[in-house]
Amino acid sequence: MSDTTTPQPDSIIVADSEVIIRNVLSDYLRQCGYKVIDAATSDEVIEILVNGAGPFAAVLSDADLGGSMNAFSLRFWVREKRPEIHFILAGNVDVAAKAAGTLCDQGPHLKRPYDPQHVMTHIKQLLSAARK
Amino acid sequence: MSCQVILLVEDEVLIRMLLAEVLRDKGYQVIEAASGDEGLAILLSGQHVTMIITDVRMPGQIDGMALATRAKQAWPQRPVVVMSSHLPAADAAIADKFIAKPFVPAMLMKTIENLIGPPCQTPPPHNQTAS
Repeated sequence: MSDTTTPQPDSIIVADSEVIIRNVLSDYLRQCGYKVIDAATSDEVIEILVNGAGPFAAVLSDADLGGSMNAFSLRFWVREKRPEIHFILAGNVDVAAKAAGTLCDQGPHLKRPYDPQHVMTHIKQLLSAARK
Repeated sequence: MSCQVILLVEDEVLIRMLLAEVLRDKGYQVIEAASGDEGLAILLSGQHVTMIITDVRMPGQIDGMALATRAKQAWPQRPVVVMSSHLPAADAAIADKFIAKPFVPAMLMKTIENLIGPPCQTPPPHNQTAS
């Protein structure tokens, strides 16, 4: 019998101009049960929010996000246009990984698939390999 | 059981989002890249990628054809699918398959299954351990 009280997972937008970081964070949040949409720039975030299928619970954005609008202006835009969406600004990978862990705790699954520290370690390993 | 990982390179975010969702719904793992440069960064990072699907015209230092060429030179066994609305199929000869845009997702799914099979490969029975 299906549990009709279980809500569908809201979507989270992971916005980061570094593809490796974006991909690892998104993968982690998907394992937490969220539907995750990747965005490489602020323009992509706006395109998703205007034309993509929601509902959206949060935007997790890198502070150095590229695009025609910087991350701080994007946060202002989201607060103005979509105040129901939680906007999380992460200044570095460590903060982003911890924020993903917090989102995971609030998410559809009851526990984290693994510790956010592993997210950060994995990102650093992949970045190191890509830059060799 | 190992699952097939598709690197999807497309700069139009809504198209990328739609295709990634269709692929994930089918059970494939998807790594999304918004440009040829991002696609190359993923390949160079050593992440497991079973096949590459790339658009052609994209911003950045390398376009989809350059990415396909570099990928086939470095990993000739890894299938590459090129999708484009303007490129003649003959110009995408480096790729294993060319798909003209627009296309229906079912066509892409058939192409993927022909190239890499179903989303997850179950190991042969003699490789499975009894629990």
